[in-house]
Amino acid sequence: MTKRRQTPEANRRNFLKSATLVGAAAVAAPVTARAQAAAPHAKPKAPPPGPRQIAVETQAPSIDPMYNQSTSGGDFMVDVLKTLDIDYLAINCASSFRGLHEAVLNHGNNTKPEIITCAHEEIAVHMGQGYAKMEGRPIAMACHGVVGLQHATMAMYNAWCDRVPIMVLGGNIMEANKRAPGAEWVHSGVDINSIVRDFTKWDDQPTTLQHFAESTVRAYKIATTPPMGPVMLSLDAELQENPIADAESLRIPKLARVVPPQGDAGALAEAAKLLVAAQNPLIICDRVARTPDGMAHLVELAETLQCAVLDLQGRMNFPSRHPLNQTFRRSVVLNQADVIIAMEVNDLWGTLNNFRDQIVRTSHPAIKPTTKTITLGVRDLYLKSNYQDFGRYQDVDLDIAGDAQASLPALIEAVKRQTDDGRKAAFAARGKKLADAHAQAVERAKSDATLGWDASPITTARMCAEVYAQIKDEDWSLVGNTIRNTWPHRLWDFKNPHQWNGVSGGAGVGYNAPASLGAALANKRHGRLTVTFNGDGDLMFVPQTLWTAAHHRIPILYVVHNNRAWHQEYMYLQAMAARHGRGIENTKIGTTITDPNVDYATVARGFGVHGEGPIVDPKDLAPALSRAVAAVKSGQPALVDVVTDQR
Amino acid sequence: MMTRTMLRTLFAAAACTAIAVGATAVSVRAQDAPKGDVARGKQIYMADGCFLCHGRVGQGGGYNAPVPPLAKTELPYEAVKMQLRTPSDDMPAYSSAVISDEQIADIYAYLQSLPGRRDPKSIAILNN
Repeated sequence: MTKRRQTPEANRRNFLKSATLVGAAAVAAPVTARAQAAAPHAKPKAPPPGPRQIAVETQAPSIDPMYNQSTSGGDFMVDVLKTLDIDYLAINCASSFRGLHEAVLNHGNNTKPEIITCAHEEIAVHMGQGYAKMEGRPIAMACHGVVGLQHATMAMYNAWCDRVPIMVLGGNIMEANKRAPGAEWVHSGVDINSIVRDFTKWDDQPTTLQHFAESTVRAYKIATTPPMGPVMLSLDAELQENPIADAESLRIPKLARVVPPQGDAGALAEAAKLLVAAQNPLIICDRVARTPDGMAHLVELAETLQCAVLDLQGRMNFPSRHPLNQTFRRSVVLNQADVIIAMEVNDLWGTLNNFRDQIVRTSHPAIKPTTKTITLGVRDLYLKSNYQDFGRYQDVDLDIAGDAQASLPALIEAVKRQTDDGRKAAFAARGKKLADAHAQAVERAKSDATLGWDASPITTARMCAEVYAQIKDEDWSLVGNTIRNTWPHRLWDFKNPHQWNGVSGGAGVGYNAPASLGAALANKRHGRLTVTFNGDGDLMFVPQTLWTAAHHRIPILYVVHNNRAWHQEYMYLQAMAARHGRGIENTKIGTTITDPNVDYATVARGFGVHGEGPIVDPKDLAPALSRAVAAVKSGQPALVDVVTDQR
Repeated sequence: MMTRTMLRTLFAAAACTAIAVGATAVSVRAQDAPKGDVARGKQIYMADGCFLCHGRVGQGGGYNAPVPPLAKTELPYEAVKMQLRTPSDDMPAYSSAVISDEQIADIYAYLQSLPGRRDPKSIAILNN
């Protein structure tokens, strides 16, 4: 980032400089005289201290307003952030928030928040996304208000789509006559927040410190109230840097505990009645579990009903090996269901319909026409119209506005109240069938995983099985995955709330590496072993994330699923070529990452990260993973580059 | 002769739940397939991009949805041919101008030549 340039022009500081010049000279004169008197006693080996150094060591601090200040707006801003218990401030340094940056370090002692240095604003925001999903509360990120914010936007969109809170602070110089020529003009805006307003919950541009305090507390409250989302504050550089004029009048507002909205009791009782009476009720869950309680509630509801659960895996909702988990029998359970309750599902239409991506695009329902559908969630409580992340409209029979996790205890109680002994017997029989089907699905997954077991390039099934073998006895946490890599959830035993934290939300490439690192930062304090599968295409967007991992000593194991392509697009291009009957020979152009192949282990080592690979023979995978896991357990980040087949 | 609906059902079953059809009847159908050339089939499988979605060794994968494994497929040749010509899902269609019936037979022979499944119990780390 370009630093603010010092110019001799008549800005505020130069006005003050002119006014105090004579006085400053008057103060300097006696100091110089004393320094000269002291000089003969100085030892010849070192240069004698100059008058300025002597003044610093012998005089009371100067009160010259041209050069010194004892307070700053930035200090107060840090005090506000401390009241919100914000652990980290992820940044790429920039002059428009230098006042805040310095205050965090020297007024705030670089704790709560602690600076996390990132080599791109997209990394900083995505780290916040990963951190918030793992720790349950937001961190802040700061960026240059124009160009830095432009870098940050895609990550903010991912966080918006993923309903994750992040506090974004963008530096700006609001008053035109305070901007130095050059970079300060091109990096300032009348309304810098405008480019993110379509995908933030709220934003403001405080003009006073009291305004900042109130807007920051308000922003935090809005960001963390379901449906959660990113918020944005524009920070005036003058407000950060200038002395506080009216300290005694400033007040930091109190942040009240936010109680998430709960679904209407009558509506929940109606939902319970439908679920209890159903032959084959189905729970579909996406971003339900906000805290560890969420998974426990979902398990209790499913076990009470002994019904099928289809986990869309937007959060760690439901244990992978629970007998009622029917995620990998999707089309069967959708087709069998007579009552569906969909919780915090963003794309319900896409879940309940089959869509064909051919020349003529068609669709048909995946459920029976008579199936009753219930929705429970907060998504529709806050939508915006431009970006189309809300998906196609889906007819439902009962639409309950309320946070699913907060509403689950009442729903469970309503189900229990309405369940008599006859229904309990029916539920038990249903549960038995589902458990058998689940067991068969697990065996089928294992059988499928054997296909190409010894092949090179290595199959994704082998890669995932080898990783699990290395970590299964640790307190592991898988915090990222590659597109359509279903093997972890088919093969691994996910049973703890921190063992998964969902996906990007907006499908913006470049999420996985930094969001995984943010989750690892949260896991570090809990002593968990963090693992992520990272597509090579994703890593190519933000490889410098690895430097942040090394710099801040964040233990994490990156397993690069290196299929040497942006493979989803490669397949799409093949489909386009096939439509024309033109052959696929050219479809690798613009879609593959070859010639040269990237050596990610060497890249990792260059950033200070333990690197293994490229691994092309599956027999070499276990030893490489073992060494990498040992490095991670010693507190380092590590990367294993696995040359894989496509999916 | 299997009807189009039966063939489609077979392929859909494979896509959703691996193989969920009567193995005996299917293996009879597999023997009925025209004789193909394995080496040529592998070359076509790679050159025409089958491997992009189904994997180099027919292990399956994912496109817009899960893509079924094809190694040692128990699908009859006719079902594979129909899926290539008029796919039931998002798979690209391949006309006879792009892949001839003879080439489909070669691909089918290659798929049958692949190692196929092993007993998962023989692989310790699949039993964690």
